[in-house]
Parts: sequence; C-alpha cells; structure tokens
Amino acid sequence: MDELKALEIDKLQTKLDELLKRVCDGIDDRKEKKKCLSRIDKLQRTLSKKRSGSLLSREFKRDMVSYSFIAPNFIGFAVFTLIPIVFAFALAFLKWDGSNEIQFIGLGNFKRLGSDIFFQAALKNTIIYCVGTVPLTMIASLALAIILNQKVKGRAIFRTLSFFPYVGSLVAVTAVWKMLFHPSKGPINSILYHVFGVAQADLPQWFSGSLVLLSLILFSVWKYMGYYMVIYLAGLQGISGELYEAASLDGANTWQKFRYVTWPQLRSTTFFVVVMLTINCFKVYDIAVMLAGGGSGELTTSATVLVYYIYQKAFIDWDLGYSSAVSMVLFVIVLFVTIIQFGVQKKHAE
Amino acid sequence: MRKILSVLLSAVMIATLATGCGSSKNPDTAAPTNAATDAASATTAESSAEPVTLKWAIWDKESTSYWQALADAYEATHPNVTIEMVDLGSTDYMTVLATELSGSGTDFDVVTIKDVPGYATLVQKKAILSLDDYIKKDGIDLTKYSGVTDQVTVDGALYELPFRNDFWVVFYNKDIFDAANVPYPTNDMTFAQYDELARKVTNTEFGSQIYGTHYHTWRSAVQLFGVLDGKHTILDGKYDFFADYYNMVLKQEADGVCRKYSDLKTEGLHYSAAFSSGDVAMMNMGSWFIATLISNLEKGEYDSSLCGNWGIVKYPHAEGVEAGSTLGTITGLAVTTAADVPDESWEFVKWVSGEDGAKVMAETGNFPAIMTDEAMNIITSLKGFPQDEQSKEALAVSNLYLEVPYAPNVSEINSALDSYHGSIMSGEMTVDEGIAAMEEAVKAIKGN
Amino acid sequence: MPRSKRKHEIASRTVLYIILIIIAIIMAIPFLWMLSASIKSDREVFQMNPFVWIPEHPRWSNYSEIWTKIPMMTFVKNTVFLTIVVTILQLLTSSFAAYAFAKLQFKFRNGLFLAYIATIAMPWQVYMVPQFLMMRSFGLNDKLLAIICLQAFSAFGVFMMKQFYEGIPNELLEAARIDGMNEYQIYSHIMLPLSKPALSTLTIFTFVNTWNDYLGPLIYLKSVEKKTIQLGLKMFISQYSSDYGLIMAGSVLSLIPVIIVFMCLQKYFVEGVASTGLKG
Repeated sequence: MDELKALEIDKLQTKLDELLKRVCDGIDDRKEKKKCLSRIDKLQRTLSKKRSGSLLSREFKRDMVSYSFIAPNFIGFAVFTLIPIVFAFALAFLKWDGSNEIQFIGLGNFKRLGSDIFFQAALKNTIIYCVGTVPLTMIASLALAIILNQKVKGRAIFRTLSFFPYVGSLVAVTAVWKMLFHPSKGPINSILYHVFGVAQADLPQWFSGSLVLLSLILFSVWKYMGYYMVIYLAGLQGISGELYEAASLDGANTWQKFRYVTWPQLRSTTFFVVVMLTINCFKVYDIAVMLAGGGSGELTTSATVLVYYIYQKAFIDWDLGYSSAVSMVLFVIVLFVTIIQFGVQKKHAE
Repeated sequence: MRKILSVLLSAVMIATLATGCGSSKNPDTAAPTNAATDAASATTAESSAEPVTLKWAIWDKESTSYWQALADAYEATHPNVTIEMVDLGSTDYMTVLATELSGSGTDFDVVTIKDVPGYATLVQKKAILSLDDYIKKDGIDLTKYSGVTDQVTVDGALYELPFRNDFWVVFYNKDIFDAANVPYPTNDMTFAQYDELARKVTNTEFGSQIYGTHYHTWRSAVQLFGVLDGKHTILDGKYDFFADYYNMVLKQEADGVCRKYSDLKTEGLHYSAAFSSGDVAMMNMGSWFIATLISNLEKGEYDSSLCGNWGIVKYPHAEGVEAGSTLGTITGLAVTTAADVPDESWEFVKWVSGEDGAKVMAETGNFPAIMTDEAMNIITSLKGFPQDEQSKEALAVSNLYLEVPYAPNVSEINSALDSYHGSIMSGEMTVDEGIAAMEEAVKAIKGN
Repeated sequence: MPRSKRKHEIASRTVLYIILIIIAIIMAIPFLWMLSASIKSDREVFQMNPFVWIPEHPRWSNYSEIWTKIPMMTFVKNTVFLTIVVTILQLLTSSFAAYAFAKLQFKFRNGLFLAYIATIAMPWQVYMVPQFLMMRSFGLNDKLLAIICLQAFSAFGVFMMKQFYEGIPNELLEAARIDGMNEYQIYSHIMLPLSKPALSTLTIFTFVNTWNDYLGPLIYLKSVEKKTIQLGLKMFISQYSSDYGLIMAGSVLSLIPVIIVFMCLQKYFVEGVASTGLKG
C-alpha cells in the first residue's frame, strides 16, 4: 500500500518538475503560461494531499477553520439582515396587508408616491433636517475635537462630559429638553421673557410649526457632536507632529496650519463622519416622535419624517408594499449620497 | 441578469413562504363554517364543563377597575373557564393588537376592540369572526344597544358586540363657579352660552390663572362639535362645518380662556391632570372619566380640595338643535378567527356584553352598552357621584353619534384628519387651509 | 517681542477656556436640571423666581415612588438581560468573525465581507418591516429573543473588529503558528488580550445602542411584562405627563447604568476608535 503511494507520488513529482521546467524555459504565449501555472497548482495540491495522507486537503481544512470562525456571526447576519433586505426589495412591488393574499402590482406603489402629500411632506422634512444637521454637527464636532486635542487642564473631564449626551437615553434626554424649551413655562423662554424682554405672544413655540425642524436640528447637534468629536479626536491624533513643526518653520499661523495641515490630513475622517452622519440623519425617527410628537406620538405634516411614515404605513395602515416602497426611496437617497461622497473623496485623494 | 432574476425569485418565494405560514393558520373560510357546525355542540361543551382557558387582550389592567371584576364574575358563574388577561397597554393598543392578530396565528381567543379604525383594520385582515351566526342562534336582541351596532356593521355583518358605551359630557368644577359667583352650566346650553360662561369664569391674571374651559389634544374634543347636529359625519369629505368650532376654540385660546394646544402637546398633558389641578372650570370629556374621578378622589390621588366638588352637564348644542346630542365611543369584544375555542369565546362575549356584564360595569362606575334603569341607578348612587339633579339628568342621551363610524378607509381618513387637526390647532395652518387640506387628503384616500 | 507673544498666548488661552466652559455648560445643564428636577415637587420644577438647584425639602420620595407607579423592576430586568446578552454575543461573534476576515485565507472571503460592507450603508429602517414579518413567522413577536436576534449580529461590529485586527502584525501570528498553536488558540491567547481597546469601544457602542434602543423594542415588545426601560419610561410619560419630578427621577435611573459602563471603559475609548479605523 505504502509502496503504491510512494510510486504515485514519484510520478506526480516528475510530472510537476517537467511542467516547472517548461515554464522556466519560457513560454511566450501568455495564455499557455497561465494554463501551465494552474496545472502546476493543481498538481501541487494533489501531491500535498497524497503526502499528508488525509482525505481532506489542507486547504479544505483551512477553509473549514475559517468558516467556523465566521459562522456564528454570519448565520445570524444572513438570516436576520440579508434575507429581510432581499425581502424588502420584493415587497415594494407587492400589495399586501400581512394577512390576505399577496398581489403583484409592479410599479404601482411607486406611482402612488407622486401624489401622496404626506410622503412628500415627510421627504421634504427629512431632507431639510439632514441639510441642517450634517454640516452643523460636522463643524461643531471638529471644533470641539481641535479644542480638546490641546493641552488644557481637565481635558479628560471635558471629553467625558461632551460624550454624555450621546450616552444618555433619548427618552430621558428629550423629556428634559421638552421641559427646558417648554413654550410657556420653560426656563429658556422664561429667560427670553424676563431678561431679553421678548413679548409673551412672540415667545418661540419650539416644538410646532416652522420652528420644529430647527429644534430637531439643534437637539441632534447637541446629542451627537460628542460622538463624532471622538472620531475626529482619533483622526487628529493620527496626524504626525512633524507636519505642524514644518508648518511653523514656514511661518504658518494657526488658521493656515488648520487649512493646510489639519484639514487635508483629516480628509478620510471627514469622509467617514459625513457618510455616517448622513445615514444616521436620514433614519431619524425617535427624535422627531419624542420631541414633536406629544403624548401619543403622532406627528403633523410640519414634523413628519420618512421613517415615521414607513412605520405608520406598515404598522398602522398595514399597507406593507407601500411602506416598503417608501423605504426604497430612503435607501436610494442614502445610497446616492454615499456614492457622491465617495466620488468627492476619491477625486480629492487623487 | 439571470443571477438577479434568481435572487428576486427566491425573495418572492420567501415572501410567499412567510405568508403561507400565516394564512394557513388563519383560514378565512374555516371560521364561519366552524361556527355554524359547532353551534349545536356549544351548549354541550358548556355543560360537560371541560376546563377551558380564554386568552383575552385588554389594556391598563392596573388602572382600570372592570377587567378583573368582569373576569372574576364570569369565572364565578362558569367554573370550568379560566380567563387569562394580557395587558397590551393603552397607548397604541389597537396597533399592537393588529400586529398580534395579523398573519401568523395568535393565542388570543377574545380581544377588546378599543376604536373603530382599529376594528376596521381587524375586519379587513379577517382577524376577527363575524358574530352574525351566533347572534341569530342565541337570539340576541340588537335593539338593546340603541342603534350603535348599526354604525359598526360591515357589509351587513357584525364583528364585535359592545359592552361599554361611553358618551361625552361636560365636567365642571363647582368651586370655581362659586368663587367667581357665576351660575353653573346647565343641561341645555347653546354653544354661544357655553362660550360666554367659559369667558366669565376665566381669570388670566398671572399666578392665579383659571381656565374657563379645557380641550384635550384629541381631534374629537374640538372638531366633533360639528357632527352633533346629525347632518354631517367625518366621512363626508366636505368639512366646512368644522370651521365655526375651530374658530371658537382658537379664539378662546388666544384670549387665555383655555390652555394652548401647543403647550399641551409639548407636555403631553393628560386631561385628568388638567382637570384635577383645580384651575379648569369646564372640560368636555367622555363619561369614562367619571369612574376615574370617583376612584382617584377616593384614593387620594387627586386633591379633593382642588377638584372634589364636581358635576356634569350635557354637551352644549348648536342653535335650533335639541339638547342631549352627544358623541359616543363603544368598546366591544370580538372573537378571533384563530380562537381555539370560538364557542366558549362567544359565550364570554355574550355574557360580558349582556345584562350580567352590564351590572358589573355599572358597579365599577362604568357605562355598559346596554343601559338599563338598574345600571343607571347603580351608577348615580355610587359613592362620590355628584348628588345634584342636573348631573343625574346629564346621563340621559337623546342622540348618540359615534366619534368614528365604520367605513372601509376609516383608518386612513382618521389619521389624515388627526394630522391636520394638529396643524390647525398649533397654528401651522389657518382654519380654512387646514380644512381644505383635510378635504384634499380624504379625497385622495377615497379615490384609492 | 517675547513679551507681546506671551500676552498673546495668555489671551488665546483665556478665550480657549471660556469656550470650553461654555461648551461644558451646554453639555451638562440638561443633566444637572434633570437631577435637580428629580428631587423637586411638580410645582417647584418650573419655578424660576427664585430658581434653586436643590429645593429646601428635597423629595427623595420621587425615587421610591417611580418603582411602584410603573413596573420599573420588570423594565430594568428586561433591559439588563437584553443588553448583557446582546453585548456578549456581539463581542464574541464579531471578534470571532473579524479574526477570520483579517488574518485567515479562505474561499469567498472577499465576497462574504462585501456582504457585510454593503449592509453598513443600509439603514435598518429600510428592512425593518420585512424583518418583522419574518420574525413574526418564526413566532418571535413579543419575545425578548427577537431583540437579541436583531441586535447581536451587526455588520458594524465585524467591520470594526476587522479594522483593528489588521493593525496587528502578521509576524506575531506566524510565530505562534510555528510554535504549534492552532487558530483557536491564537485567537484566544494572542488576539483577544491585544484587543482590549477595540472590545471596549465595541462594548460602549453596543451597550449604549441596546440600552437606549426605542424603535426596535417598540415594534417587537408588546406586552407590559416584556417592555424595556425606554418603552416603560415613554409609557410613563404619556400617562403621568405632569408628574415632572417622577419623570425626571425615572430618567436619572435610566441613565445610571450606561454612564457607569461608559466611565469604566472610557480610558480605552479614543485609542479604540483610533485603532479600529473608525476615523476613516
């Protein structure tokens, strides 16, 4: 048995040597060369399999070990994320209420979007919210990171403090904000009234009408700037000090240092921050419901947002296909913005 | 391309699979036949006294007195039955219930129906049984329910039987009227008189504010003054009849006669907190608040020096309309299509909605759907019920209009009206703009 | 010349500190207000003239009353259970998978990783409805397990840990392989101890997200016995809207655990973010 195996191995070895020699001799045709190389590869694999004497190839074993590492996460991920995503695409073309029969209606759901005033209000508000929140949060968090990257006393305390709003639960934090900004009793309006002499009738109604989106934006900036600040901080710490020294030698002032060293060096961080911010802004739901929604959480057209409408259509009206069509709009917007960001980032990198 | 197609195909397969699971457990055909064939065995099942457990969906078990009382009373007379209550919370009870009942089978046998839009959803989802066969078999006389069952009949079939029937009245705080030396409101007021009265007791002085009246943020609290003349409903699609009432309330708000809608909204101020704080002279609210007031005053949750001296009167009415028309809300019970024991479930529904249940409801201070003289007497003689004649008379209702009558699209119409109600009240839209927007939205919904 | 430079320095320092203090006030005031209001009576909460941080008679009873007004204990239990299970599962499975993606060669590696990357830009809200329908057909509606399934296998965790592991030199692993360690041993004896900063960061993110999640539990958890603190607190606010002191006491309670976790792990935090490539 062993002899037979030895013989086989010998045979394979000679074949391999032959091939190797041919390749080394040089084959001009590229196609031919490729073919040879793949054959060599195959032979080597069979050889090692024969030598080690196991039924399973080493490679197969290697793959299995790797898969065993991935499996626990991947199975959960595939079942609870990938499948629903595929399902979401299909659902957008169907009419279904979760109980009765499913109907395929092609683009019917998307056609309805055009004449749906609530959807349009939700889309408009979401976009305004994003346009306001993304740049403001980015600027605020970058500024905060730059300040907290300096050698100042109590730096750790300040860093921790600015992360508090992010850590704090939304229900709790919005409850406080609603008290602070209470239109007729809250301290903010009270200060406006007593200190700045704003007439009682002119006191801002923070959570209704045209001001509501502004309140949402201010709140988000406050809540999330600490989070993005940490990301910027990590980015800042990755910039080598030599660059600043060189700039100082060239006589650059603080602004110039920022403009020509910090900002370009932080480009990839900014890209990451802006993409994450955009995605997070478009999926806003709980902030709107808790700040502008009152007791039972329903939103008027001045404060409604896309995810609220998705929820409403799915779980209140049970128009699952239509709700999925709205989600697709959300997805396409996020995808589009990400791709644009990516393009801009790439162009700058070149 | 092929690859994409195969992916899509598999997606659709998953979709059908998921529903397949659902619909197989929730057969729309099986239910009525089941009911009919099992009808004969229903009585035997009861007498054979096999132990059954009925799973019943309810809300706010802790703060609502009658759930436990009903269950206890039923278990006492039906020893083989165990009632298992599941509290789904009141905030979005009907949404939660629809989720529970749609698609895959549920363990609920009996569910409480809180409002008509939610009822419409459940009927369309074929989640609850038509009770017609049972009603016919047991000879239930629907006239006892004084016509409200007609307003929730869907294509000639009834899917719920009401056990509680609330109607709106005006609550008022006698101490405030006494202090201001203003006569109490009466059971026969026009809206103009009501407005005048509210203005008389109002005190806008900072620190000692008294609000002549209070409107909760619900649409029903303001908008539905408009349907009391019996000529209009919210399903009309034309809403100019709301305008007068919106204008009245907005003017009151501007003059400090009632709290600002936007304040209420920000705080999410509960109407009970508003009334019990003792600075609200009148408040229109459903009769369910009577039981809450009585029990919370007794327990000391509300300060009786602030709101202990209260009374009720009938709703104000439009000029030339008879007094006593008001809004109503029914709470009903339904049997799920997925119920394991539909017959026993029906027995329970029948009992709760019948005279026996009515007595239990009255004893806990709530208004049963069947308003017998006995039930009325129980309520008016409850400890803590106002002892003046007016308050007792206020309970006599001449015309009852459901806040939301049944229609196929009622759930969507309801949310459209709710949304623009908010816009009008918070000043985002003028009354005319808001009404125009309502009409446009409802037209779009009906056209769908 | 040096003198004016010094003056300039002092001036800019002062400005810096003033800005810092303003920021600190903006960040901290809502929390201080929360603490202060949580020991006030409803009437004192909005009293502005005069405004006091600590009332004369602090109402500590707010903190005991909140436990009886709503089943707070149940909410806390549910939330603690969910958060701990999700965090542990997330840490284990993502660091496990990330190790393979970062350090091992195998078939379909890039394809599988692409699946993860592609979903990071996909908001959960896009597929929450089909996901719910699927979970419901598995019978997971109104089960805590649903939230675990939902939160524990995020693409984000894998991505983050992979970025971190790629920063660990391959030579270290090769040496270990030559010493005869298998991959599991390398993972547990070499990689895990090295990944403290990344694990801390992921713990903070997962813990905070799970503890504070609202929409997920809102969709899945229906009966009162299954609700989390966030849902319970929201329920309380809509029922007892004018019990300001109690609302604030409940809010303070809901903040304590996350803040403790954050304080314990924060020293690794910036380092963790830096080394996990989260900065871009």
